[in-house]
Amino acid sequence: MTGATSVVKARTGRRTFASQRRQNLYGYLFMLPWLLGFFGLFIGPGLYSFYLSFTKYDVLSPPEFIGFRNYVNMVTNDDLFWPSLGRTAYYTLLSVPLSVIGSMFLAILLNSKLRGVTIYRTLFFMPSLVPLVASVLLFKWLLNSDFGIVNQGLRGIGVERPPGWFSDSQWAIPSLVLLRLWGAIGGTQMIIFLAGLQGVPTELYDAAAIDGANAWQSTRHVTIPMLTPTIFFNTVLGIIGAMQTFAAAFVATEGGPGFATWFFALHIWKQAFDYFNMGYGAALAWVLAILIVILTLIQIRLSKRLVFYYGE
Amino acid sequence: MATTSSQSSTPVIAVDHASSRAWRNQRARKLFIYTTLTIFGLFFAFPLFWTVSSSLQTWQELRSYTPHLLPEVPQWSNYADVFRLVPFARWVLNSFTIVFITIPGTIFTATMTAYAFARFNFFGKNIWFILLLSTMMIPAIVTFIPQYLLFFNLKLIDTYVPLTIGAWLGGGAFMIFLLRQFIMSIPRDLDEAATIDGAGPFRILWSVLVPLMKPALTTVAILQFLTDWNDFFGPFIYLNTMTRYTAAVGLRTFQNMALETTDPRDHLLMAGAAIMTIPVLVLFAVAQRYFVSGVVLSGLKV
Repeated sequence: MTGATSVVKARTGRRTFASQRRQNLYGYLFMLPWLLGFFGLFIGPGLYSFYLSFTKYDVLSPPEFIGFRNYVNMVTNDDLFWPSLGRTAYYTLLSVPLSVIGSMFLAILLNSKLRGVTIYRTLFFMPSLVPLVASVLLFKWLLNSDFGIVNQGLRGIGVERPPGWFSDSQWAIPSLVLLRLWGAIGGTQMIIFLAGLQGVPTELYDAAAIDGANAWQSTRHVTIPMLTPTIFFNTVLGIIGAMQTFAAAFVATEGGPGFATWFFALHIWKQAFDYFNMGYGAALAWVLAILIVILTLIQIRLSKRLVFYYGE
Repeated sequence: MATTSSQSSTPVIAVDHASSRAWRNQRARKLFIYTTLTIFGLFFAFPLFWTVSSSLQTWQELRSYTPHLLPEVPQWSNYADVFRLVPFARWVLNSFTIVFITIPGTIFTATMTAYAFARFNFFGKNIWFILLLSTMMIPAIVTFIPQYLLFFNLKLIDTYVPLTIGAWLGGGAFMIFLLRQFIMSIPRDLDEAATIDGAGPFRILWSVLVPLMKPALTTVAILQFLTDWNDFFGPFIYLNTMTRYTAAVGLRTFQNMALETTDPRDHLLMAGAAIMTIPVLVLFAVAQRYFVSGVVLSGLKV
């Protein structure tokens, strides 16, 4: 009896061993392309970039190790480091909250299941389909200070000196924010909010209605608290994206006028790919990465207090 | 007022009052929603309209003292001029070339990786999965400089290799994650039935799972298309020869490159913007639901 069971055990043991080998073999075989990419395009370059950030490297002569000098230089010696960080922060603080609130607002309206709302949903989604470079050129034309239709309209209604938009250093970042809002509010962010709204149990609205809540009150006290996880998600992704903004600012103004839209990503690009200061560029890139990670961690920390998870 | 009337009259009338008030509230709410949606709709639609309208006007019309909302005579020749003045057809073709290389790459390699994570219990799987997800959080700029140096040393600058190789090496964490979620939603019984019939892992993936994954794979293909069609930084850094530019980089160059004419070119730029947008809109028209299904497929618990 005992002999029989032990034989069975030994057999299954051997079989699980053989099958574990099979699992390993096929698991690694199937993820081999990704593994190559992970080491070749991610881990390898990541480590090399970390090393480069402690060197002076102009591509022509080999990297020269200089310790922390790149990092010290950027905070003490680089006229554009702090301003570019500040402009990036300004753009992020202006564009992310407005676009997240805008997306949420539209999603709530679209969720009201009225006739014809799908047409509006499609309409709001369309701008997010326009390729970024195309939408930048479009906004440069719309907001052209002399001949743009917006300023023509503003003059038409009696505004004597409408803003210079992209050509005015005060208005350049707000113009980029407008461009961003147009492209982002109705896009994926709004779709994520719509998906989030599907998850709000209808009994909560029924309960609110029985308590005599009006539309605004049930939005304020049911919908928005239930959407806090979605708000959190969109805000985190929005900040990560906004901090890395390059193409919009570069295509619109090349960082101008007068460095008004000289974002951090432009600074990295200029140092690394225009001046070929690869070591310094790598150091700047690491600073941006670390800032983004820190900001994300802070948000995760805050979310524990501010985000409401239903059913927990 | 409402309460006094309901007290003094019969309950039936009171109910009537209440329901008519609810009806009026309902109507006010509807009116509010439609009005707000329409105002926003106009803000979203006008720039699109203006692209098309501007692209069909003459530059003199666009710069006249009173702007014309619609062209006097639609200048279809503007579109021909774009193709004549700059190699726009070439740029669009280049963008398509890149997309035709990357889409199959992502479909093949992201599916394979997703299959590994969804169906095999290999050693270290959880750690690899965390590493996979972590690649989504690290900004691309950190790895960009060394990648550039790598391709520079391999003499691959000004080719499409740096722009397409990533798609053939897993296609990115998000795509893998999305497909993994999808495979996990397919019952394992199907795999097991196929195993009993003598099918190996390759056969199961190809004959059992892939046919069922069509919606997810379509989504992945569309996401890959949008990524590459929009990408500016990669092609801008890696491509030097003008005839190798993509539509995105080409359109940006068109803005300030020297042409045979020095006339304002806003109408031509708008035509270029429209040309670049048309393929995306066509794709959206034929596969609309896949544009939003990425959100659903990723099973985003938000």
